[in-house]
Amino acid sequence: MDDRETMTETLCAMLARRGFGRRSLLQFAIAMTSSLALPPSVAPVMAANLAKAKRRSVIWLSFQECTGCLETLLRSSSPTIDSLIFDFISLDYQEALMAAAGDAAERTLREAVAANKGQYLLAIDGSIPIKDGGVYSLTGGRSNVEMLAEIATNARAVLAIGTCAAYGGIPKAYPNPTGAVGVDDLVSGKPIVNIPGCPPVPEVLSGVLVHFISFGRLPDLDDRKRPLAYFGTTIHDQCYRRPFYDQGKFAKSFDDAGARQGWCLFELGCKGPTTHNACASLKWNGGASFPIESGHGCLGCSEPDFWDAGGFYTPLAGGSPPGWRNAGIAAAVGVAAGAAAALAARGRAASARHKAGPSPEETP
Amino acid sequence: MTDFTYLPDEGLVDALIMEIADLLRRLIEHGEAGSTVLLRLPLSPSRLTLDHCLGQGEIAVLLDAAGRSTIRETSFPGVWWTTHADDTGRVIAMLIEVAFVPHIVRADIDDVARGCQRLPGATNAARRARRTVA
Repeated sequence: MDDRETMTETLCAMLARRGFGRRSLLQFAIAMTSSLALPPSVAPVMAANLAKAKRRSVIWLSFQECTGCLETLLRSSSPTIDSLIFDFISLDYQEALMAAAGDAAERTLREAVAANKGQYLLAIDGSIPIKDGGVYSLTGGRSNVEMLAEIATNARAVLAIGTCAAYGGIPKAYPNPTGAVGVDDLVSGKPIVNIPGCPPVPEVLSGVLVHFISFGRLPDLDDRKRPLAYFGTTIHDQCYRRPFYDQGKFAKSFDDAGARQGWCLFELGCKGPTTHNACASLKWNGGASFPIESGHGCLGCSEPDFWDAGGFYTPLAGGSPPGWRNAGIAAAVGVAAGAAAALAARGRAASARHKAGPSPEETP
Repeated sequence: MTDFTYLPDEGLVDALIMEIADLLRRLIEHGEAGSTVLLRLPLSPSRLTLDHCLGQGEIAVLLDAAGRSTIRETSFPGVWWTTHADDTGRVIAMLIEVAFVPHIVRADIDDVARGCQRLPGATNAARRARRTVA
């Protein structure tokens, strides 16, 4: 079967050819409706629509970025990106993944745009430097600004993948030497979906693509053009530690008894209350965990200007960073100076804890 | 270090139990199946509280399609705990289904028709496979 036939074959026909039945598609649709926070009753409708769907062309441009977003997406599941590439989308241009290079790659891009004019999805990762005529990031001698303007013109929609593409991200951090901006600052007149995160949760991209393919439209977005299903609530609201916040039970230092019992990490600088993302529910690394479950506060990486928003360990309410630094110094001194010094350090730490309030062990 | 004395998701589990009870009433009165998605709820990582509340029933169905899924009835007849995994084993959906038989277990008419067409040739196909092995 050649590429043209693959593009026109429906997903149902393709699955049947591979020996998969309706249950496979339903299984997949249940997973995607669950991820998209759609009612489970929508799953049979999505499965029916997907069965009739044909593959969509996706053109992916990488600008001022670290390739972390692509690395993460390549390791995604539900569905895995390779199954997305082969089953639902035709990834017609992606510089890091494609075999072609140089002039052949440039030709591939021109051909993909011409063949799918007005129909392809344009995915962008990385910010766009606009200072000094955009000279700080070029591909094939063309600036990112120039390429974005040209390729976005004929796109059906633009997906800004990662915090850099969405808001400028780390390249935009003070003093922003390259004049980095996000896609939304430059593209107008096209539907734009921001999928922020450093890196973004891979299942969000899968969800957006599957929603577009099965319902023919992009999912509902919030005022920052993020899919509501994934960014409609804060990490804090979905966090399993949230009940402890409501009870006023806070870990005072990393790995204290409270932290280990699941108490809230707010006082250790967690940015969950002001960060909109789906980490707490979709999780990372094959659903294994997410930062807060692993004992570290949220950095707020999916919010604009997160890098310039104060210290990662400074509580949102202000005040001092956590006591772990003092405890760590105390432990180091203890190792170096012997058991007696260590005991003294622990004594000082205990004294400091008493000044700050009772420890979780001491709380009735 | 002691174990949890309070499971943080107990309040949420109370709400879920009430929702499941409501779905059961609808199933009994109108024959209408329903479900509720667990994977995106802020339950404790192990989901132990809910699991303990619902318990284990008599039937478990193993589905091996695009990935492996388990559909097991809880100790409450008609309440099914369904877990779908992808082909790498990662859980991609987890839901409580309230139905006489979960929708995905029923065979689809088109799949049945395709199987019906294949069936007469099944003995020949098996013979060919045996010869290949021999």
